[in-house]
Amino acid sequence: MIKSPTVMKTGFLTWRPSIRAAVFAVGALLALMSPSSTVQAQQKLSKRYPVAKNVRIELKNVSGTIVVESWNKDEIRLSATIESKKAHVVPRQSDQSLVVDVMSDNRGMGDVGDINFKLQVPVNSSIDLETVRGNIYVSNINSGLVRAHVSSEGDIELTNIAASHVIAQNVIGNIFFDGEFSRGGTYEFKSNKGDITIRIPGNSDFRLVAASPARRIALNDFWNNNFKSQDGRRITGDVGDGRSSVSVTNFNGQITFMRK
Amino acid sequence: MNCETCQELIHDLIDGSISQTDEFTLNTHLKQCLDCDSVRQDLASIVGFCRTQRGQYEAPPNERALWLRIRNVVEAEIPGRAAATAEPRRSFIGRLMGHTWELSLPQLATSVVAIVLLVSLATVVALRRSSGYVTPVTQVAASNENDPVWQRQQQVISYWNQRVELNKVRWSPEMRATFDRNMKTIDEAVANAVEDLKRNPHDEVSEQMLNEALNDKLTLLQDFSDL
Repeated sequence: MIKSPTVMKTGFLTWRPSIRAAVFAVGALLALMSPSSTVQAQQKLSKRYPVAKNVRIELKNVSGTIVVESWNKDEIRLSATIESKKAHVVPRQSDQSLVVDVMSDNRGMGDVGDINFKLQVPVNSSIDLETVRGNIYVSNINSGLVRAHVSSEGDIELTNIAASHVIAQNVIGNIFFDGEFSRGGTYEFKSNKGDITIRIPGNSDFRLVAASPARRIALNDFWNNNFKSQDGRRITGDVGDGRSSVSVTNFNGQITFMRK
Repeated sequence: MNCETCQELIHDLIDGSISQTDEFTLNTHLKQCLDCDSVRQDLASIVGFCRTQRGQYEAPPNERALWLRIRNVVEAEIPGRAAATAEPRRSFIGRLMGHTWELSLPQLATSVVAIVLLVSLATVVALRRSSGYVTPVTQVAASNENDPVWQRQQQVISYWNQRVELNKVRWSPEMRATFDRNMKTIDEAVANAVEDLKRNPHDEVSEQMLNEALNDKLTLLQDFSDL
């Protein structure tokens, strides 16, 4: 026999007050445990490291988002949210560098979950970032190196960058570069499946090698008749005096140059 | 009597101090041995010249050097003595370095041609080897999957693949899915480049794409094998 909802409700209300209170208590406990278990499992790390200018920061993550931005202090502030209790994060500081190697610190431990980093660094810091998966965001850096390497999938956004060497590479995901090319600098962007967008000043001078088997290369304002095209799959040539070297490779996505 | 005893007695004979018995024996030997007889005649003529010219010639500036030169000439003319008094046997390198390298024009020309050929051959071999390691796609371009370089590269990929398969059990389902998805993407890029190269074996763009895709595959495998 199927009871109607009304009957059921009436039945619940007719229970003894002590039983009803017990049911409410258990329900409330379960409701509290569910979100709080997540909160308790997460670790939060926040540390500050006084450094000289031109410090080098190396971060090798496994999974999670990495955010790096500059600030007007001669110190590094490292904040991390660590999903798993068993994960280790052991930053190591030397005279000229700060190294965080999650991969080595947790080798052989299997999947340690997401670790999300936020780094606030001096504007002249060299940045070397790696992760197996996850997005990387770097902004407002003026230094010798900005490197963002995602072994598998994750977007890379480099905003307001003035570095002499820039490398951005992933397998699946978009790459966005907004900055300027320094004289004699080298710039390398590579993705297997994702769009690559480069936004630079209109007076930029560089030597370009852009390859896209899908023939999706748009140089827009930077196109000139001196460029050589191989079936539209590879375009090589100079913009201006070609004083910096730019290499862009995209297996299955769009390459776009935009003027700031 | 042997030659050595004979030549010692020749000095006594010329000086006139030899005994009758030795003189008989020496003469018997000199009749039979032309070499020793020649030495006797040379020595007798030198001594005779010195005796007749005594006091009438000036000593050379470096008498000792002169005698050394004379002795060298005499020893060179007597093969047996020269062999007996030769320096201890030198090593190959020592003999090579001590050799006087005076070549005739044909020998010189032949040497130059041989050196040019050797250098060219070595350069070609080195270039082929280095290009094989740096750009393995060249082999793929020729669709020659039996090439050792291509096979070696596949072995390296296979090794890392095995390591990844061993570690996969420790990964979360999300991580496994991520790996499979990315590997599939790279494999598609490799397959596309190989297909393009089969159609056009000398296509530079496809070679570049295949190289980079294979490097990406190796990097992906290495990075995930550390997990």
